[in-house]
Amino acid sequence: MTAGVDGARSPRAARLATVAVIVLLGAAAFARPGDEGGAIVLANPDRSRVTELRSALAALPESPAVLIGLDGDLGTYPEIRAVVRTAFDDLLARGAGLAFVSFTPEGRAVASAELDRLARSGVAAGRLLDLGFVTGAEAGMVRAVTDIVPADATGALADAVREAGGGMAAFNLAVVVGGGDLGPRTWVEQVGPRLPSLPIVAIAPTFAQPELAPYLRTGQLVALLATLRDGAAYVASVRPTGTANPDRVPSALAMLIGMIVALAVIGRSLAAALGGGGQGVATAIEADVGAAGDGPEPSAPAAATPS
Amino acid sequence: MRRSLPAATVVGVGLLLLVDYVVINPTLAAIADLVLDWVVLLAAAAALAGGAALVLRHSAQLIEARGERAGSVAVLAGVAMVLVAGLYPGSHGATDPAVRWLIAALLAPLIASLFGLLFFFLLGAVRRVTVLRTREGSLMLAAAALVLVLLMPIGGAAGDWLAEAAGWTLAVPIGAAFRGLLIGIAIVTSVHAARVLLAVNGVEE
Repeated sequence: MTAGVDGARSPRAARLATVAVIVLLGAAAFARPGDEGGAIVLANPDRSRVTELRSALAALPESPAVLIGLDGDLGTYPEIRAVVRTAFDDLLARGAGLAFVSFTPEGRAVASAELDRLARSGVAAGRLLDLGFVTGAEAGMVRAVTDIVPADATGALADAVREAGGGMAAFNLAVVVGGGDLGPRTWVEQVGPRLPSLPIVAIAPTFAQPELAPYLRTGQLVALLATLRDGAAYVASVRPTGTANPDRVPSALAMLIGMIVALAVIGRSLAAALGGGGQGVATAIEADVGAAGDGPEPSAPAAATPS
Repeated sequence: MRRSLPAATVVGVGLLLLVDYVVINPTLAAIADLVLDWVVLLAAAAALAGGAALVLRHSAQLIEARGERAGSVAVLAGVAMVLVAGLYPGSHGATDPAVRWLIAALLAPLIASLFGLLFFFLLGAVRRVTVLRTREGSLMLAAAALVLVLLMPIGGAAGDWLAEAAGWTLAVPIGAAFRGLLIGIAIVTSVHAARVLLAVNGVEE
């Protein structure tokens, strides 16, 4: 993949390099960094996001009712799974009852699996409430603001929510897990103006951070964990190093190796794209892509090079 | 008439929901709730129709022996598995252990694996950018390299500095661009909604 610079590269060497990277990443995924102050640290040293979340949780009353809007995407959920599960544990440790609702089918799949896991881990049934999948996208969400409890829902939490009106106003906090089509932004737009008293915190994959950060600054989100490093810092704050942690954040070493590989490929490609000393590399890559039969003819794009 | 009826419906529903949003009135709220119920029902019906269309399309492909037959078999088998697990006599529907197993042990790992391959697909895409040699491509690569450097999980003073720089980059230049995008989208949506409500020529076509 990255071997050779002068055009004498063989497809076999490229394949070997690819296999080597995969093996290296696979091995690194199981390797754990040392203590938190080591050379490789995933947790963000800037703990302000973590402080905001923990402050929001600390402001909850005793035995609060927390609404979990779980609309993660099955592809990106592994990135935030450890953070989400740590947040559940944090909330349960504060005596919270958790009610799960989803507005996307994928979110429903994730919620179903998480409810199953929590039930199997010994959380009392009365502290969990499955509000199911609400169809209708934004319209369904608006409808759920005033009526969120299904008719067949039972249990102490369901009864408490019904007594408090049966809508989202019965909850002390909404924790929105994003990644799918209907994420924290939709909650801020549809639920926020209708229930300004309901604080909303969000946990989302890194790609959603730029989209959600403005809402944090305006206060429409009271807390946001939307990068892997912030998530790792939160997990470390709840579960200090050395404690049993079944839900590990992704390996920092694997990430670092992946980043270095990506940087090498990007740097090489940039050198080639910018011409100059990278001309030999460009020719080699063109030959490689052309030989693989998955790119345009090497000579064609050269003619389209901007002057 | 053929065009004015949908336009009138859109205008009526839009105004009703808009007024319900800003005015507290129980009667108005009840009517708005009813309209929302219809929208929810329509969405559910559309989802069912979409599923049925998918099954019909792949069934037809199999019967007529065209298209990717292996893919059609996989789609139909997947649909059948989930339907059987969720609808067999005594099943608990979406919360049935069989459905949960299918999702947790089969679907989620499959999708996560595909997402994991994104790393390698992206590296392939980077190489294609090299061949295309466009300014935009080079700019994108440079930005990607910068983001990678800023997000490197390293400790010590260098890590602190990188985290600070990453925070500033996300909050200031990237944040500004996204704010601009969000505000732009909001303005365009508002203008379009106003054109629909006012039945400005060309909107309903």
